Amino acid sequence: MIVNRITANAPTGGRISFARLDGTETLELVELHRRAGRLAGALAELGIGPGDRIGILAANSPQWVLLDLAALWLGAETAGFEPGKFEPDQQLVSRYGLRLLFTDRPAEAAGVLPLAEVDRLVEKADSAPEPVVWEPDRVTTVKFTSGSTGEPKGLGATAASIDSSLRAVQDMFHHRPGDDLFVFLPLSLLQQRYWIYSALRHGHDVTVSTYEAAFATLRRARPTVVMGVPAFFETARRHIGARAARSGKPVGEQAVQLFGDRIRYLWTGSAPAAPATLRFFNEAGLPIFEGYGLNETCIVAKNHPGASREGSVGRVVPGKEVLLDADGVISVRSDHPVNDHYAYAAPGDSEKVFRPGGIVRTGDLGLIDQDGYLYILGRADDVIVLENGKKIVVRPIEERLASGPAITEAVLFCPRQTELVAVVRPAHYPPDEAVIADALADANAALGKDERIARAIVAREPFTVENGLLTSQFKPRRPQIRAAYAADLANPQEGIHAR
Amino acid sequence: MHAETETAARENLVLVLTSPVEPEEVDPDADLAARYGLTSLNKVLFLTSLCDETGTELSRFTEHDLARMTTLRKVVDAVAPSTIEAV
Repeated sequence: MIVNRITANAPTGGRISFARLDGTETLELVELHRRAGRLAGALAELGIGPGDRIGILAANSPQWVLLDLAALWLGAETAGFEPGKFEPDQQLVSRYGLRLLFTDRPAEAAGVLPLAEVDRLVEKADSAPEPVVWEPDRVTTVKFTSGSTGEPKGLGATAASIDSSLRAVQDMFHHRPGDDLFVFLPLSLLQQRYWIYSALRHGHDVTVSTYEAAFATLRRARPTVVMGVPAFFETARRHIGARAARSGKPVGEQAVQLFGDRIRYLWTGSAPAAPATLRFFNEAGLPIFEGYGLNETCIVAKNHPGASREGSVGRVVPGKEVLLDADGVISVRSDHPVNDHYAYAAPGDSEKVFRPGGIVRTGDLGLIDQDGYLYILGRADDVIVLENGKKIVVRPIEERLASGPAITEAVLFCPRQTELVAVVRPAHYPPDEAVIADALADANAALGKDERIARAIVAREPFTVENGLLTSQFKPRRPQIRAAYAADLANPQEGIHAR
Repeated sequence: MHAETETAARENLVLVLTSPVEPEEVDPDADLAARYGLTSLNKVLFLTSLCDETGTELSRFTEHDLARMTTLRKVVDAVAPSTIEAV
């Protein structure tokens, strides 16, 4: 397995760069490997061994990467905590059974070490131990996902699931020396660490940026691949479009200005990308490939060079099987499942998602065309069933409502059985009610009788991750939005009414 | 505020906002995130463009400096040539 190879064998080439606003630090991968081995030696002296768990709560940094690799070396689990969502306190250490927690935040709890200690440990160690060989079903890391109760769910990822995904990606994209993969999303998201494992295995370069600095460090790094999410590419699209309009220069030139001149492709996933955004980058000469997967399944489908179809999330990758039930709800069977239960979740959560035989019920609605391309139509949870039994898939309606200039985001509810009501974020504040009413009328004109939106509640503030109305993957948190606007949704007099 | 930098800041800020706002309408003391929905990614795009236009090196700032630039006035004060050393 790749997780065993990358510790057992020193890489033969490639570099890793850590980019911040104020500069870039570059290491040969062979030096990264050497330091990871020494850190493993130092951690072993501190008593860390197979089965122990190390927590990391820090922004992207060399120390983050070294701790992750050293844990792999020792057969220890990691738990990556995103700063801002977790606090480096005693409660965290206890709840997740951490032997040690490394953080770049101020902390005083027992068992919590400053991230800078990593450098001292690397210097202190004089040798690297023999790397542990991971068994396929052992958990290497705990990853966290948004929970329905606000408490994140923790999920252990098996070594074989990581290996299977890395192999599938490599078969599709052939990352190789000369490539430089740009990573800026938090390393606490396991998939972002895949690109470091890939570099160690395949000898290509990888650049790790802080999230805040991503757009500033991109053009300096001149990567060949950018690993992003739809919100990132949407932001880039708006910026490139605005700069092109302002300067009169071609869009392609502005795209190169932002992303650098070596892009081979852009990777997007985690949430649905707007078709217009995908088209924009493809037409600008930066091919962008959308995929599909959940924390619980890892990568299920992916468009890639030579097998890409607009509107789809690509063909199902080897080792995965998509099962559609009579309602079109997607379940995914994996040869090497991520796991068969959550390590941390509310009672009943695991049973709702994990089924025997390596099957995960995603809750998403989909279809597969005759050529094997998967299309995601919405969330099963986002289906409103009306009194007449008709099922309303809300996402296309919300997209239609937000497709014009008046509304930037819409979330649809059916507070009483009699009407559909949208909570909308206007394009600007204070909102222009007449323009929103026009948008409502336009959308309704194109919708079926049962899909008509009766009224729109104007959101008092944008939906953001910070105010809890978006997930960290920038998806609307429907229960929270419903709760925030419960009184308005329930009062038929409230909002802008359809004409 | 440094007049030329302020003009460039206003023009570049509105380019990254999702809501249509005229450059002259931007309140220099309003919180850019709360009032105008400026995300951290957009903030860097805004500052990258502003620094390009004003001939300032963005690399002179750290992520921590950026976090402190919460209003247009603070951005201008940080980026304007006469004050850059003080950041």
